[in-house]
This record gives sequence, C-alpha cells and structure tokens, in this order.
Amino acid sequence: MGTGGLARVWAVAANTFRETVRERVLYNLVFFAIIMTASGLLMGQLSVRQDEKIIKDIGLAAMELFGTLIAIFIGVGLVAKEIERRSLYPLLAKPLSREEFFLGKFAGLGFTLLVNVGLMAAGLALTLAGTGRRVDPGLLKAVYPIYLGLLVVVALALFFSTLTSSALAAVFTVGTVVAGRFSDVIRNMREVTDAPTWLVRILYYALPNFRNFDFKDRVAYGDPVPFAAIGAVTAYAVVYIAILLLAGSAAFRSRELS
Amino acid sequence: MSAAPATQVNGPALDVRGLSKTYRTGLLKKRSRPALKSLDLTVERGEILGYLGPNGSGKTTTLKILMGLVFPDSGTATVLGHPLRDGRWKHRVGYLPEQPYFYDYLSAREYLDYCGRLFGMTASARRQRAERLLELVGLRRSAGVPLRRFSKGMMQRVGIAQALINDPELVFLDEPMSGLDPIGRRLVRDIILGLKKEGKTVLFSTHILSDAEALCDRVALLRGGELVRVGDLAGILGSDVSHMEILASGLAPEAVDRLAPALKASHPLGDRWRLEVGGESLGSVVKAVEGAGGRVLSIQPVRQSLEDYFLKEMGEQRAEDAWELEG
Repeated sequence: MGTGGLARVWAVAANTFRETVRERVLYNLVFFAIIMTASGLLMGQLSVRQDEKIIKDIGLAAMELFGTLIAIFIGVGLVAKEIERRSLYPLLAKPLSREEFFLGKFAGLGFTLLVNVGLMAAGLALTLAGTGRRVDPGLLKAVYPIYLGLLVVVALALFFSTLTSSALAAVFTVGTVVAGRFSDVIRNMREVTDAPTWLVRILYYALPNFRNFDFKDRVAYGDPVPFAAIGAVTAYAVVYIAILLLAGSAAFRSRELS
Repeated sequence: MSAAPATQVNGPALDVRGLSKTYRTGLLKKRSRPALKSLDLTVERGEILGYLGPNGSGKTTTLKILMGLVFPDSGTATVLGHPLRDGRWKHRVGYLPEQPYFYDYLSAREYLDYCGRLFGMTASARRQRAERLLELVGLRRSAGVPLRRFSKGMMQRVGIAQALINDPELVFLDEPMSGLDPIGRRLVRDIILGLKKEGKTVLFSTHILSDAEALCDRVALLRGGELVRVGDLAGILGSDVSHMEILASGLAPEAVDRLAPALKASHPLGDRWRLEVGGESLGSVVKAVEGAGGRVLSIQPVRQSLEDYFLKEMGEQRAEDAWELEG
C-alpha cells in the first residue's frame, strides 16, 4: 500500500471516527459506564478496607463491559450497514480498494475506543483522586490490555459483518466473545464430555482467549505485572487481529454487492 | 487536483465486449437469473449515451460490474484505455448509483470533502470544488444540514455532486432523474448538457424516455439482459413524418364519428378535439371539419417518438410492466 493508499485508509478512518462519535448509542453506553464507575464509590463504602480495590475493580470492569458493547454494536454495523444502505457503492467507484475501506473502518473504530477508554480511565482516576485515594499509574497495566481486547472484538465484529447482515454479525460476535471469555471451560471440556480431543484443541486455539487480556485483579490487588506479560498479550492481540483482518479483507474482496 | 494517471486520448471512452452476468439466488444459490447476456457496447469520447431498458433489463447490473460492485461471469471491458481490473481509470471517472444513500450524520459539504479526500485532492482543492458543485446542484444553502434531513430529490443532487467531485472525464449516472421534481430534472438535464459542452463523456441509464430524447447523441436499448439496438436517435426514429395532428374546436361528437373512417385516431380535449390523420387525407379532413361547423386551430406534423419506438420494440411486454412513461 503506497502513500495514496495510506491517505485513503486515513480518510475512511477519520470519517468512521466522526460517524461513531455521532452515534447516540455511544453516549448511552458511556453514560452507563460513568454511572457504574461512580457506583464503585458507594460499594467501596460498604466494604471495610476494601474500598479502593472495589472502586478500581468496578471502574475497570465498566471500561471492559461497555467498551465491548460499543465494539460489538457499532462494529457490526460499520461494513454491513454500508452494504445494506448502499452508501458503500459510490465510495468503491472511487480509487478506494475494499481492503483500504476495511482497514479504515477498523482504524476508525479503534481510535474511537481509544478515546473512550482514555475518558473512562480518566473518570476512574478522578474518582480515586476526588475521594482522597492514590491514583496508581499501575492502573494502565490493566487498562492497556483491556483496550487490546476491545480491538480484537472490533476485528471480530468487522470480520463477521463482511460475511452476513449486521443483525447476524452481532449474534456471531457476541457468541464468540462469550465463548472466548470461557476458553478455560472449553479446554477442560474433554474431561467432562466425549468431545474429541482434536476438536476441543481446535476450538480452544481458534477462539480468542479474552482471559489473556484480564489483568484487572492483579492490578486492583497491587500485584506486580511484569512488562513481559504485557508484551506477550500485545503479540497475541497483534497476531489475532492480523489474522481476522486478513480473513475479513479476503471475504469482503470476493463479496458481491448486488 | 487528484493524482490521476496520464490521460489517454485515443480510443473509445468505454468498450465492453461479451459481458455476461447471472445472479445465483436462493439459500443454496441453486436458482439462477441471467441479468446480462454477452453485452457488446462502445461509448465514444464526448458523447452522451442513453442506456435504456425496462426495469430488470440489466442496466444497473452493467454499471455495477463496471464499478467493481459485482463480478462478471465472462467478458471484458476497457475504460478510458485501461482494462477494467486495472482500476487506474477510477481517478477519471464519476458514478452515481441508483437511489443513492449517504451518511445520515454528515452534511453535504462534509460528504463531498470526504469524497475528495479519496481522490487525494488537497484541502483547498476540495473546498473549492465542493462549493462549486453545491452551487451547481442547488444545495449551497443546505450544505451544512445533516443528510438525514434531506429529501429524496436533495439526496439525488448530492449524488450527482459526489460523482463530479474529481472533475471526471467519463460519468456514469444510474437513473439520475429518479426522485427529482420538474425543476430538479431540468437542472440535471442542464448539468449533463454542460458536461458534454466541456467534452466529457456521459453514460446514463433511464427509463424516462423524454429525458433520453432530449439529451442523448445515441441510445442503447436493453431488453432481458440483451442489447436490442444501439444507434443515434435520428437513425433509430427516422426523419419521416408518421402522421399529422389537427387541433379543432366547435365539433360535435357526431361530426367526429362521421369523420372516423378518414382518421387514425381522435381524442377529445375539453371542448376541442385532437385528430390524427394520414398525410394523404389531410386536405379532405380539414374541409370536412370546416363543413361540419368546426374550426381548425392548428395542424402539426408528428414524427415517431422514442416512446412509440420502444413500445413497438418491447412488443409482447405489457407497457405498464415495462416502463414508467413520463412526459
């Protein structure tokens, strides 16, 4: 991809960012995330000496939950709705390849989520600081993996949205995300079912393991998180996203827009 | 403006050879519906070609194949001297899809800016071009309004503006008059004629025959995915007068009944009558009208219209299924 290609990806990404920040659903979800983070204050008061941990726990969980909802419900519409509404047609008649469009969509929503996660992290820091508690920079070691996990969800949503309608893509993405949160259960399936080992193994490795991105407890308890672990989860996310984007691009390239 | 490849000035603007497409439908894609059958079509530089046919005749499929939205089963095409798959021609082409839809959350100005960015235009070039096009399509005053508030006709105007953002040499317009009021249709007619004056090539599909008759150098007629006829209007319609039309007043219905054997048709228009007669009976019918106490208001020679020609060509197809004949 030359500089012209990058400029076009950037143009689609910037437009996607504008599209997503003007979505009403985004503000609803961010509003609930703020409510949930603030409710951590109340919960903290009910627990003796656990207040700071609870505020962190709830704040990070809100970031992850609402970030995931944004990634899924905005992500599945990014390509599928453009096809359903035919707004994609005049764009593809311009010097914009389908791959550039697809990448631009990913980058655009990725940037929206970065801003969202940043705002929610700032909200959590303000909640801690506003109640006289210490704002630990180590929180970033939980926030960053959450963001990586959200990028994987976006890539999944985009992948499914190139294959089917936005409604079905939402169902498939939610299913995959839920299954990916319980990947340990899948690994242990062979002990409790007659499922063939090879099938269990394929499922375990094919599904995204969202537990890899979960550093919330370690950070909330103040346990050390080595940079090597952060590096490993980054590599995992990069590889998984790259595979999804390549597969999604290939599917999108061969899809007829009739 | 855009980083367009060097212009090739020789050869046709569009050359299509043996283009075919069959849609597979149904859950298992077992049913098939042929949409285009071995289409051969050439569009010369600087001409306006009307691409005509009933609904489902393959017009939109042809344009979708050219724009890379659907893939042909067979055949080739050359656009501005470049093979279809090459894609370099996209810098020099504009396209208005049928019933276009754009982003709810953008204004017309923002949308045109976005389109300009896809062509690699600079910010100042985008701004200037967008303002010029908004003026051209009559949307300058609504340029900052979100597109979700636009009517169908306004959306169509945005569609035409985005198709021209890169100052294209070749413009494909799929049903450009669709959804437009008479003022809008006149505006689009003027834009198309303006493009021709600038030396651009225009291929537009329509089933509104009066538009084709008013604008086209040549027309191509499609039926059931097959090209039935292509040529200039004079060649297709001929220059011969098919009949004469007499507008008369003061005639009683019984008088018209007496004239019937000499008439091809008669139509009451309030207190007047429109009488269609062959050239050879003109003199005797005029005399008979005056003899019956009537008054001849006008006599006009009538040539075969595009509408007449197409209805004849469509033959077995019921007119109401095939066309939306508009004045």
